[in-house]
Amino acid sequence: MNIAIKPPGTLTSLSLTEAADAVAKGETTAVALTEAALAAIAAGDERVNSFIWLEGEQALETAARLDKVPKAERGKLHGVPLAHKDMYYKAGKLSTCGSKIRAEFRPGYTATVIERLEAEGSFALGGLNMAEFAQNATGHNQHYGHCHNPWGLDYCPGGSSSGSGAAVAARFVHAALGSDTGGSIRLPASLCGVTGIKGTQTRVSRHGVMPLSFSADNVGPLARSARDCARIMAVIAGHDPKDATSSKEPVPDYEAALDGDLKGIKIGVPKNYFLDDVDPDVMAGFEAMLGVLEGRGATLVPVTIPHMDAVATYGGVVSRVEGATIHAEWMRRQAQDYAIHLNSRLYASLGIPAVAYVEALSRRGPILKAIAAAVFSEVDVFVAPTIRCKAPTLLSTDVDAGTPGALDAFNTLSLNTRPINYMGLPSVSAPCGLDSNGMPIGFQVQARPFGEGKALKVVDAFQRDTGFHRERPSGFAA
Amino acid sequence: MSMDIKALVKEQAEAWSGVVPPNAVSEELAAGFASLMAGLSALRGQLAFEDEPSSFEAALQATKEPNP
Repeated sequence: MNIAIKPPGTLTSLSLTEAADAVAKGETTAVALTEAALAAIAAGDERVNSFIWLEGEQALETAARLDKVPKAERGKLHGVPLAHKDMYYKAGKLSTCGSKIRAEFRPGYTATVIERLEAEGSFALGGLNMAEFAQNATGHNQHYGHCHNPWGLDYCPGGSSSGSGAAVAARFVHAALGSDTGGSIRLPASLCGVTGIKGTQTRVSRHGVMPLSFSADNVGPLARSARDCARIMAVIAGHDPKDATSSKEPVPDYEAALDGDLKGIKIGVPKNYFLDDVDPDVMAGFEAMLGVLEGRGATLVPVTIPHMDAVATYGGVVSRVEGATIHAEWMRRQAQDYAIHLNSRLYASLGIPAVAYVEALSRRGPILKAIAAAVFSEVDVFVAPTIRCKAPTLLSTDVDAGTPGALDAFNTLSLNTRPINYMGLPSVSAPCGLDSNGMPIGFQVQARPFGEGKALKVVDAFQRDTGFHRERPSGFAA
Repeated sequence: MSMDIKALVKEQAEAWSGVVPPNAVSEELAAGFASLMAGLSALRGQLAFEDEPSSFEAALQATKEPNP
């Protein structure tokens, strides 16, 4: 047998699917992948601060055990080291949720998505940095230190899954789970130049995942490519008896549908809301992306998304009220243990009356139906810039430091992502260029409910003709 | 609208939830609800409760991708 063994220096540059396939072919091992990841983290995470905790020795022991598993018993992700936002419970393991309040929290049970990933042979190196209780869009964390964007250390990595975006971008891990209530997967994916997917509301089990908003929370991966996301979604999606809200809709083979062919696919380009006040650099990247999709055979169709005033208004109400409800007890007893930007938000949200919350919830279904009738009767997907502005700096968005204008800058980030959570649609964000500061620009693709495969297919087709998803920040592992 | 929104939020948070303003930023955010209230006000009369009981999960099914 003549097998080309991959040298350690190239291992961290492999995508998730490339790494899993390399292990399956015997070109590398779980131990080699883990050693390469730990070396990259040791060399670079002092600058990025993407990990809250790391268990290198235990990961190496797990990897060695996995390397002894017979090939016939191996899963789709066998031997690939990952790490996840520090809010996925694993029995007995730390799960800080990025907070002081849960600094020593060790749950007694394991999240279904973690069990599913482990059943396919992956394992975690540690817990990744995140916004405190998943509640900011920037990556600030007063308790464990701010996470930094590997593309420019002064810049926001995006939140709330800040460590997930940064660790994947810096080539510390091949993929990571994040969570998305108002953009918390797609924002760090966009700002860190990686690919991330939020599935249809109810698509992925939330059992064993720290709650923020019952109606809008979603679990999903950040990875190097649409194909990576497809493989992870196929593993984690599907009904879970432990989460009664999870859908029984069958899970398709997302990866098998990635054929690069966009002929006959109609792509909606919003005429309203999503392109309002978009930065020229972002717009240039977005328009160039449209050209690539057209080159792949897609037809661009201008669309008007109805009820956007209602979507934008109601979307904020639902997640704020649900978050404030979850945190009310801690707010009564230990409000000072939260960062200012968070306890202030939680406090204010207690002032939103129940009638406004019920109004927002009760109109969600009818609004989705109206959007489907107006948009998805005309197009297969619609696209938008993930973020309207260029990457902001950590300083310019630091509410806790009292930076003038920080609140506005803070809120601007999620203008294009939060509405999608209210609609409940699947959405994939991927990189499509760099701005004039050399920071990544992202676009997002939305499909009908349970149309994750179609959104991934569009992004995969784009990535076949472009190299943005393979670009990496300088100064980190090759 | 001539009302003290900070006072309104303070009264509601304290009376219904037992939570007091933790800092000045929290009151600034509460004052910012003027725009949220205006947004909700502007929506009055635009949408009816056409599905009773409304079910978002049913809407997801009704609008789902036919060929996933």
